[in-house]
Amino acid sequence: MTAAPTLAADSMRATTAQRPVLHVEDLKAYYRTRHFGVEREVKAVDGVTFEVRANEIYGLAGESSSGKSTLIKTIAAAMRPPLEIVGGTLAFSFFPGGKGLHQATSAELAAMRWRRLSYIMQGSMSVLNPVRRVRRSFEDFAGRHVRATVASFETHVREHLALVRLEPGVLDAYPHELSGGMRQRVTIALATICRPDFVIADEPTTALDVVVQKDVLDMIRNIQREMGSSLLLVTHDLGVHAYVTDRLAVMYAGRLVEEARTPELFSSPQHPYTRHLIASLPRIGDNTPRVSLTGSPPNLAAPPSGCRFHPRCPLAGDRCRRETPVMTASGPDHRVACFAVSGGTA
Amino acid sequence: MRFYAKYFAQRLLQFLLVVFIGINLTYVITHATPIDPVEQSIAAVTSFGNTSPEAINMMRQSLRELYGLTGGPYEQYIAFWRRIAVADFGPSLSAFPTPVSTLIARALPWTIGLLATATLLTWLLGNLLGGLAGYYQDKASLKFLAVIAMGLHPVPYYIVAFVLLVMFGYLWPLLPIAGGYGMNIEQGLNPTFVLSVLKHSILPALSLMLVGLGGWFLGMRSLVSNIVSEDYVVYAELAGVDQRRILGSYVMRNALLPQVTGLALSLGAIFNGAIITEQVFGYPGVGSLLVSAVYAGDYGLVLGVATISIIGVSTAVLIIDLVYPLLDPRVRTA
Amino acid sequence: MLTTLRDLLRYNVEFRIGAILVGLVAGMSALSLFSPYSPIDTFVVAPDMPPSLAHPFGTTSRGQDVFWHLTFAIRNTLAFGIVVALLSRILSLVIGLVSGYKGGWIDRVLMSINDTFIVIPLFPILVLFYFVLRDRMSWTTLAVIMALLGWAYDARLIRSLALSLRTREFTHTAVFSGMSTRQILAREHLPFVMPIVFATTMNNMNWSIGLEVTLSVLGFTDINSPTIGGMIYWANQHTALVAGVWWWLAFPVVSIIGLFIGLFLLAVSMNEHIDPRSRLRRLGSGGGS
Repeated sequence: MTAAPTLAADSMRATTAQRPVLHVEDLKAYYRTRHFGVEREVKAVDGVTFEVRANEIYGLAGESSSGKSTLIKTIAAAMRPPLEIVGGTLAFSFFPGGKGLHQATSAELAAMRWRRLSYIMQGSMSVLNPVRRVRRSFEDFAGRHVRATVASFETHVREHLALVRLEPGVLDAYPHELSGGMRQRVTIALATICRPDFVIADEPTTALDVVVQKDVLDMIRNIQREMGSSLLLVTHDLGVHAYVTDRLAVMYAGRLVEEARTPELFSSPQHPYTRHLIASLPRIGDNTPRVSLTGSPPNLAAPPSGCRFHPRCPLAGDRCRRETPVMTASGPDHRVACFAVSGGTA
Repeated sequence: MRFYAKYFAQRLLQFLLVVFIGINLTYVITHATPIDPVEQSIAAVTSFGNTSPEAINMMRQSLRELYGLTGGPYEQYIAFWRRIAVADFGPSLSAFPTPVSTLIARALPWTIGLLATATLLTWLLGNLLGGLAGYYQDKASLKFLAVIAMGLHPVPYYIVAFVLLVMFGYLWPLLPIAGGYGMNIEQGLNPTFVLSVLKHSILPALSLMLVGLGGWFLGMRSLVSNIVSEDYVVYAELAGVDQRRILGSYVMRNALLPQVTGLALSLGAIFNGAIITEQVFGYPGVGSLLVSAVYAGDYGLVLGVATISIIGVSTAVLIIDLVYPLLDPRVRTA
Repeated sequence: MLTTLRDLLRYNVEFRIGAILVGLVAGMSALSLFSPYSPIDTFVVAPDMPPSLAHPFGTTSRGQDVFWHLTFAIRNTLAFGIVVALLSRILSLVIGLVSGYKGGWIDRVLMSINDTFIVIPLFPILVLFYFVLRDRMSWTTLAVIMALLGWAYDARLIRSLALSLRTREFTHTAVFSGMSTRQILAREHLPFVMPIVFATTMNNMNWSIGLEVTLSVLGFTDINSPTIGGMIYWANQHTALVAGVWWWLAFPVVSIIGLFIGLFLLAVSMNEHIDPRSRLRRLGSGGGS
């Protein structure tokens, strides 16, 4: 029998088992543009602090202009101008020295990408090269990390595909020949084949049927449990968060407003925005009319002063207009950034 | 496989349509003439020398058929098509009694040779450079190339050929500016001849390439700049795939697809450019033949070249169309 | 539209250079109104004189002042290009919009015909026209013929745009509120299509003027009316190069190159500006949420 394929440098995982995999501290990332002489600065991520622990699924919820996509780009070091980090730190446990990936050299990056950090992208319709068979994507992405012969690599991939209930025949197909659900499962398999420490899943089930969604989410959770990686799950769909995440944070207008263990966030939300989100979830048997929030999400180029939620908040007071609330502990493993909860809005 | 048969039939149909419309167009044009063209042509030719009455009659007959003047309108059309179908354009008036088809057959290899090599080289080189320019957007050398491309591309083929002619014919006489090969060289596969042919093809080919490169360069650059923000490229970069592999397998491979289609679409224009360039450099292809035919009033030859041009370009387009599904797997399923 | 032009002028280098070049050439053509010599007359000044103060671009072997003759040539050439571009725009728009909007068999038939005209090499066809019409080939005739032959490429561009517009919401609204196809195309879709039409007009002018110059240089048009190609034709007829009368050739060639590059730059910069992705790239790529 040929030797089983080995993954490069697996000793790292044991020693960092108890440290948080990702620690983000006061991160600020803005889009700075100059168009026809007009300068604009969009404060998409404005002072975000959180950490993702080992072996957990951490959810990030927020509507479309909350800044969560920008946050992901920053964490994954997928920034292109005009997006730039203007402050704060980001540290991965597997990258000693506590630097964010954006400060790594290209050699370090190449060693870490996919092996330590991988990504399940939004809109998996088109993440695979349309003119190459699926097998090529596996070779391109994972080949350089897996020291193995061609045959054992193939076996390894097939075994992994079985985890997401895909036939090996998928490898010979072109992306457009697969259904949406199959493509998403290929992406999950692709993202986890090197057993990374940290996986970012960006809207992994949007654009899928509800039935397929449940399957995909089950797969994600099973794989995560099996590999012991950490997963950052980003989606606006609270139902998804309720189903798979261990802890959940809510983001609004570039800042975090609340973070707690998932069951607790759903049973006792504290921030007015979170309470509104949870209250507006449909429940079987509950016919009370839902009230929508007044106003609309703020313009991140000219955000409101103080707490960014204050123009739409039913509990807003003077202090909310003047000062910016920070995330403070309001219970075990529960943080909120709101004066109404901690401090007083006067 | 069944899909490919259907696709093949579609493309073949389009090919036949183009040829049909094109040749009918020539038929319509020749009927646009208000005066009797046949007698005019014959008068022009016979005024130069003695031609036997039988020869004149043969000319007249063939000309009348080609102009579609024999019999009623229906017979005219049929007679015209019957001649076209066998490529019988009658005798050439300017090189009497050599048949037009012989003249064209002699000139065609020169045109095809020049056109095929120049076009292929330009397409490959232009796309390669354009792809690099689109991917490595900050490289100064590539930006400089872009400026040159933008300056050369819009200039019509004739002007570029003419300027090259002036430069190398009068200012720095390094390269031959006329003919397909040196005089007094024996034709055939001997080295002197081959070398001479190559030398004489440099300027015409260069002329074609200078104009063409710009177009492919700019187009590819634009395509690649858009493709780099496509999901599959971003994803591969996030996965840390080696940049050269991304450039080749993910970016270029996908960007070339529309360029293949673009090649098919621009063959007509490139062909135009080629025959004009031939005329400037006296290259013995169908372009020079066409122009001298007009000057000599040789209707059969003009019609012959026009028809062959239409058929030739359509065939080349058909070939490219048939090759495309081999490159793009998405087209293979209906 | 005007503010767009002003912004382009101020911030887009290519547009600026293009506008300057085209402006210069157009300015030359406007000067033709002040010419002291009629364009058709020959031998009104001493022939073969090199550029001097009296004759800034020299004189031709036919005794014409190159500068003033050029102003007429540019005017005629430009006018020709504009006429062809306008006429073929009408065809491109109608065919492109109808084909893209209606879809189905109308689309397939129109596009088959369209592709035919793209593939057919037009130069031999035009030469055939000239051969058959000879002296009856006036400029208007040629312009009409070229308009009838040159709509195909742009019709395809407009059709793609129309295809994407068809699926937009405001189109559905228009349909449901009872607008006829003609009304929808004219009132709702046309404003979207205009910027692309503007860019294609520049390209079309390049194409038609390019063909005109090529035909004229070979003597295949009415060469008595001055055009840039015609000037080059006459210069060649008088073997200007060999005789050393380089100015007769140089100035028309330079002005035509300037015109082409100018129009091309205008078209390119317009296209880049219209395409939102390339516009974003100029600021620094892809915005986000």
